[in-house]
Amino acid sequence: MSDELPDRDADKALAGEYALGLLPADEAAAFESRLVNEPELRAFYAEWCEDLAGLTDRIEPVAPPPWLHARIESELFGSTGHKTSFMRWVAGFLGGLAAAALALGLIFGADLVPSGPQAPTDPVYVAEVSAEDGSLVVAASYDADAGELFVDRREGDAREGRALELWLIAGENAPVSLGVLPGEAQAALAVPEGLRPQLDGGVLAISDEPPGGSPTGAPTGDVLAVGEITNT
Amino acid sequence: MATRDEIEAWLAACSTGDRRAFGALYSATSAKLFGICLRVLDNRSEAEEVLHDVYVKIWHNAGKYRVNGLSPMTWLITVARNTAVDRLRKRRSTTASMDQAEERPDPAPGPEAQAIAASEADRLNACFDELDEGHAQAVRGAYLDGETYADLAARFEVPLNTMRTWLRRSLLKLKECLSR
Repeated sequence: MSDELPDRDADKALAGEYALGLLPADEAAAFESRLVNEPELRAFYAEWCEDLAGLTDRIEPVAPPPWLHARIESELFGSTGHKTSFMRWVAGFLGGLAAAALALGLIFGADLVPSGPQAPTDPVYVAEVSAEDGSLVVAASYDADAGELFVDRREGDAREGRALELWLIAGENAPVSLGVLPGEAQAALAVPEGLRPQLDGGVLAISDEPPGGSPTGAPTGDVLAVGEITNT
Repeated sequence: MATRDEIEAWLAACSTGDRRAFGALYSATSAKLFGICLRVLDNRSEAEEVLHDVYVKIWHNAGKYRVNGLSPMTWLITVARNTAVDRLRKRRSTTASMDQAEERPDPAPGPEAQAIAASEADRLNACFDELDEGHAQAVRGAYLDGETYADLAARFEVPLNTMRTWLRRSLLKLKECLSR
């Protein structure tokens, strides 16, 4: 590149081009080998990184989905003998719930309405999916014959202009959507055949999502409520 | 937001294999870095994959951080930006080879440029304002949209060498303003 700049200026510009990733591969490699021995060049490069990073100041932070942390740690640290932070988080969350509330009798009382979807009389699995502060409580029970999960929203609702989406988390797998909870408090959600075996020992979670549910297939909003699936 | 000292301490601890420090670092910085990945890639699932790669790199390179002379947040931002841009360029080259008639990037200023117009508070933005508008867009486009010299030359409809001369001179003008 010949553009008649004094050497020092040429190096400053070069360091900027390198920081922006604009240099052709051969020039980038040559720049890197010079970096090793030239402190001034390193200083130019570091200054550019600082200055250019300022371009991200106005980018709003966005919380990544909660399962991503667990996935990263399981890659870095392996899953054996180490509870990932997501599972620790779930465990802590569940620990906060009174054990009695998980008792079957309490979850499925006798207050079922006669119309609309009915709770299965002999569910294989049940769960109470609740927020830590009790602001959202959804009881779920699974009818193995119908392959349907009956949900009963007892407390709370989606925020204005938002939806509640129900997720199944099996082991350390990424959450899989079981669908958006309808406006009605009670509903039956069909569970795809491939997912049914994963209910055993899994966890249900509810996240805050745009209308119609997460556009990405993974939870995008806050996780509002969690509940362990228990075998009856 | 965590302080510079906290982030440095976590990075130092990560380099000795401290998993709890990694968890703390992740909790304090992942939303910022995820925001950057989303801004560059404009695609949620790609941004999630890139953020995963970014933290794997951070863990493995935490020990090298001190020698590069950057502030810790700048280092994290640079790793995130570079990883996201690499991914974006890979995507573009795949798309280009599948579809020769690749769309030209939209030359309209992005949200940052608009936000910057609304506030002249900080030095960097004030210095960007001193550049010709097109030149400022070119530098931002290279940093936040991963545009290459070829992309920029096409966008501004100038020969590649002219583009490079422009950009190098803009960088020096920016540097001169920032060091005033």
